[in-house]
Amino acid sequence: MTILQETPTPLRAIGEPRLLAGLQDGRADLQRHLQTHGPLPELTRESYSELATAVGLRGRGGAAFPVALKLADLPARGIEAVVVNGSESEPVSRKDRLLLTMAPHLVLDGATGLARALKAPLVIVAVHDAAAAASVRTALLERQDGVEVQVADTPGRFVAGEARAVLSVLEGGPSVPPGRKVLPTRKGYHRRPTFLSNVDTFAQLAVLARLGSHEFSSTGLISEPGTQLLTIDGSVERPGVVETPTGTPLEALLRFAGASQGPVLVGGYHGKWLPNDSSRPETSGGAGIILALGTDTCPLGEAHRVAQWLASQSAGQCGPCVFGLAALVDDFERLLAGDPAGWHDAQRHLGLVPGRGACAHPDGSARFLVSALEVFDDDVRQHLAGGCGRPVRGVLPVPGGKW
Amino acid sequence: MKKLEIDWTRCDGHGLCGTLLPDDVWLDEWGFPVLRGREITRGELASARRAVLACPALALRLAATVNRDSKGSERTVPTSHQ
Ligand code: SF4
Ligand code: SF4
Repeated sequence: MTILQETPTPLRAIGEPRLLAGLQDGRADLQRHLQTHGPLPELTRESYSELATAVGLRGRGGAAFPVALKLADLPARGIEAVVVNGSESEPVSRKDRLLLTMAPHLVLDGATGLARALKAPLVIVAVHDAAAAASVRTALLERQDGVEVQVADTPGRFVAGEARAVLSVLEGGPSVPPGRKVLPTRKGYHRRPTFLSNVDTFAQLAVLARLGSHEFSSTGLISEPGTQLLTIDGSVERPGVVETPTGTPLEALLRFAGASQGPVLVGGYHGKWLPNDSSRPETSGGAGIILALGTDTCPLGEAHRVAQWLASQSAGQCGPCVFGLAALVDDFERLLAGDPAGWHDAQRHLGLVPGRGACAHPDGSARFLVSALEVFDDDVRQHLAGGCGRPVRGVLPVPGGKW
Repeated sequence: MKKLEIDWTRCDGHGLCGTLLPDDVWLDEWGFPVLRGREITRGELASARRAVLACPALALRLAATVNRDSKGSERTVPTSHQ
């Protein structure tokens, strides 16, 4: 077990770190980057496809779409751009910002190497965090990539990180997803074929290109080998970003972070709750974000705070998302106050929200709230009988205003 | 095969589609359409087309059936694969 040194966002690893290698003493400039990882081999498009297929690499932004399929969907020529989506908009997740801030060269290697292989003339790094943007700009001064690299600032709202919303901003449009469902691989930047993925995916590609599929697969799951970056937060002694082999059991991760007993939220605010330790099914912590709730806060009150925030993040363009999430905030408020109609209305509204928006925000928000009502059904009963007696401590971080 | 589809960024809940296609669309408590989601049969195509043209917000569409990959993210089937 390697424990890396504390930095502003603490970073640690279970097992041998790959993406976080060489960051013990802070940000890796080009020299440190090359000392740690060596130079990036120049690979062809076919080699990238073969490697991505061999290790079953999936996009690390949440949708988990296979990289090999994305590559296969691109036309043979005329690829406009490679876009690094660094507008990590899940409020709890810090892995992408951390990579851009601490290991910008690894991310740039992945993006520019792939751009050259795809003969795409342009790489765009979309970020909404000032420190991350500054780190990438500084890194670019040290490099010569043979492709143009632009750094673009995007807004930090939850939905603004959605791939199509990012493309819209890059073209000077609003930071909201368009109404039509289009694939960036077909109509991306400038409505031209574009390879877009999140920061973590490009760092993985840079590691994969160097290691080759055999060595890359020496750790983690057989079906999806390698390592993953997770953000662990909430009621834990050691919050931060952890690099672990894929498939590491959730309980091991919680122990590693010093989590207290109690329910756990996996997958962030579009994710799902898991019940208290004893009744928890065995699962691996692959969903990017793990939040431990602890036992001394009111779970429904916490869910209500998150619901308020989720409602405030709806981009305001799709009726069922706007009205539905607002109604759900009100339902949870009444439920907390012991009104059974609040529970009934919530059940109805949770059926009216999913699948009825231009992006996955209503679906994810509903998933989070449905699982809260399921996992906290005892607390629901207590509230309907007068309250659970615990204060709402705000264990689940909710960004206040702009963040 | 065709299905009704709504561009949620445009629909402003006029509810006209619910009146014109009561078998395929009902309206939720805020007046926004809920699609039953079934295929539009050949016989219904004409009335579905009329409703699409009637939508004042140009939000209602008839689209070729969409498939979903295992993770649930939506992909429009490219014309060449249909
Ligand atoms: S579904 Fe909601 S969050 Fe997504 S674009 Fe529509 S209003 Fe915005
Ligand atoms: S007629 Fe058009 S704008 Fe009105 S509810 Fe139906 S889809 Fe929405």
